[in-house]
Amino acid sequence: MAGSKDVMAPVVEKLHELRLLHIVNYNSSMPEFELGKPLGKGKEFSEDLIKLRSMARYLDIKSKAPEVTYPESQVVSQMDDLLNNVGAEVNSTFERITEIETEVKSKQDQIKVLRPLAALPLPLEAYHGYDSLAVFVGSVASAVDADVAKVSSVSEVYFASSKNANIAAVFVPADKEEEVSSVLAEHGFAEMSVPKMEGSVDSAISALESEIKRLDGEKAPLQQKLKDLRKQHEDMILAADEYLSIQTQKTDAPLRFAETGNAFVIDGWVPTEQFSQLQSGLDSAANGRIEVQKLEDGEANQLAEHGEDIPTQMNNPKIAKPYELITRLFAIPEYKEFDPTLLIYAFFPIMFGMILGDIGYGIMIFLVLLLLERKFRTDGWRQLINIVKISSIWAIIFGFVFGEIFGPLGLWGRIFGHLPEEEIISLKLQGLYFGEGVYGALGRLGPADMFPMDRLATNAVLVLIGVSIFIGVIHTGVGSILGIKTELNYGEKKHAYFERLPVLLFQVFLTLLILGLVMSMNMALIIPSLIVIVISIAMMVMGPEGPMGLAHVPFYVSNLISYLRLLAIGLASVGLAFAANQLAFQVIMPMLSGGAHTPTFVAIIVGTIVLFVVHFINLLLGILSPFMHPLRLHYVEMFTKFYSAHGGGVEYMPFGHVRRFLKV
Amino acid sequence: MVIADLGSLYGMIAIGAGLATGLAGIGAGMGEQGIGAAVVGVVAEEPGFLGKGLFLMLLPETLIIFGLAVSLILMFAWTPFGQYITVAAP
Repeated sequence: MAGSKDVMAPVVEKLHELRLLHIVNYNSSMPEFELGKPLGKGKEFSEDLIKLRSMARYLDIKSKAPEVTYPESQVVSQMDDLLNNVGAEVNSTFERITEIETEVKSKQDQIKVLRPLAALPLPLEAYHGYDSLAVFVGSVASAVDADVAKVSSVSEVYFASSKNANIAAVFVPADKEEEVSSVLAEHGFAEMSVPKMEGSVDSAISALESEIKRLDGEKAPLQQKLKDLRKQHEDMILAADEYLSIQTQKTDAPLRFAETGNAFVIDGWVPTEQFSQLQSGLDSAANGRIEVQKLEDGEANQLAEHGEDIPTQMNNPKIAKPYELITRLFAIPEYKEFDPTLLIYAFFPIMFGMILGDIGYGIMIFLVLLLLERKFRTDGWRQLINIVKISSIWAIIFGFVFGEIFGPLGLWGRIFGHLPEEEIISLKLQGLYFGEGVYGALGRLGPADMFPMDRLATNAVLVLIGVSIFIGVIHTGVGSILGIKTELNYGEKKHAYFERLPVLLFQVFLTLLILGLVMSMNMALIIPSLIVIVISIAMMVMGPEGPMGLAHVPFYVSNLISYLRLLAIGLASVGLAFAANQLAFQVIMPMLSGGAHTPTFVAIIVGTIVLFVVHFINLLLGILSPFMHPLRLHYVEMFTKFYSAHGGGVEYMPFGHVRRFLKV
Repeated sequence: MVIADLGSLYGMIAIGAGLATGLAGIGAGMGEQGIGAAVVGVVAEEPGFLGKGLFLMLLPETLIIFGLAVSLILMFAWTPFGQYITVAAP
């Protein structure tokens, strides 16, 4: 947009109010245009802001969720009082406190020096004020009087040893100073500076101590005063900070514009659907003395392909919004890239749930998060908490599938019931044993009575290996398909068909090949899979990287195997929970599980402690690993297929300010 | 191959499985050690690098999964090798 300089101020005002335009800074690349100059009172605003910030620092005020909001006029009218009167008070109080602190510190240092001197029988004035004598006071490793006597015929040596150091005071004639000094150095002499004071050492120390006490007494009310000031002015200071930030933002805005003698030009991006709003808003603000133009659609696409940083605004349904945190942590999607947030929303919680898979832990995490939600109110924390909350619900669902409440159902069978012993044995013999728990009166459910599936049972592990790899193929497959789409968006046909497509084929048919091998050498599956795998490898060689493309093949194999972690991490957590239950119920308190044992008080206490500690550790690990590992599966296994290959994008940050402490 | 008793066969399988996961874990740990230190250094300078740093740090983690896969095969799916093993009559 271009406009007359006369309307610059209202245009900036309007832009700030609309919060729509992502301004592209002018880089003074064209000789006809120069950088704009700040508007009006910019300097004063920023000076005030510096004053205010230093005051906020002295008062230890940090940004927080707003409790009160102020109208702008009130902030403006109170600004002077706040900056000058309150500010001066804060500064002087803070300075006095610092002074006191340094004084106390120096007095404490003096006491530290004086303490060892107390062992010597000299008053303090004896150490100073000689013309013809050299004085050495300090700690030594061993007695020095004999050696000092050797170099100086006249000398006076005082020596005392306390529990951690020997202290010596040596008086010699001034002309012997150098010789004595070298003698002392041989004894590991470390000099101490004796403070210039009078009287006995003990009385000096007690005088210093009482002085410190007096200073501390003066400090306490000052600190209280700062606290009171903070309480009184905190909201106002934050509001003033916001007001001044907004003002400096507005006055400094022209620095980002291009300017000529009479006109200014602003470059920027605005979401397409809000363009007309921006245009009409600016037209009315500038009385028509501004020209706003937009790029044709094709032009933007061309710019993106040439590497222009077009800002991106992530646009996801409200429920998937928290997962933008995970996307953002990796990179902002580029203008023409697919935003993976929805995919993370679909896969991440399921993976988390499959790893944790425990009703007890799931409910615990959910409850803890409900508590945390009240404490942490910033956006970042909110998003994180929401992510884990949705995930913990999936953990509860998988808990039902796996029949786990704080460990596998076996021990909680009292609530849910067990299969009879002979049935378990016959299932084991048939190789159909998936666990011994039942869903109460419903018994066992699903094909081959698979559920509740005890993850520690051999068959369950085999099934879950299959499920993990299956999820892996779907996950990486979606990634590869998006990779093809993204490359086509950027017009890179060769990359799409000879780099992304073969990976998809390779991974899908590798899985089919393994499936064929496992299904007792099913040739109808093995042979076609082998053919497709060979073709896909050939395509990779023909691709843009040539034979070097082959180097990636092990990476694609390990991609799939990597999904085994979905099973493995879960197995580790069940194992720990199982061990805790076994240890507590079977070993320490067997009476609770029907064993012959007289219940003793000690056994019950120890058993309960073991139960709590191990489950607590497992719960902590149960939040951390099921979070980190799906994160990795997304970042390494999926994103590498389609995301951020062109280097991250730029986030859409419209010019403006969200008012938090000021009334709108 | 003739094995004297099933007990020692299972024992050896268990030891092998343990070694597979454990050694792979040590290897992955050694790999991550250097990367982790470097990533912490970069993140201290530039917090925006956290996501990519995490990505780099988690790369060697695949190694341990390889070891684990071998362990799982040993523990749960060693039957393909069963035909080559005969247990001597006591």
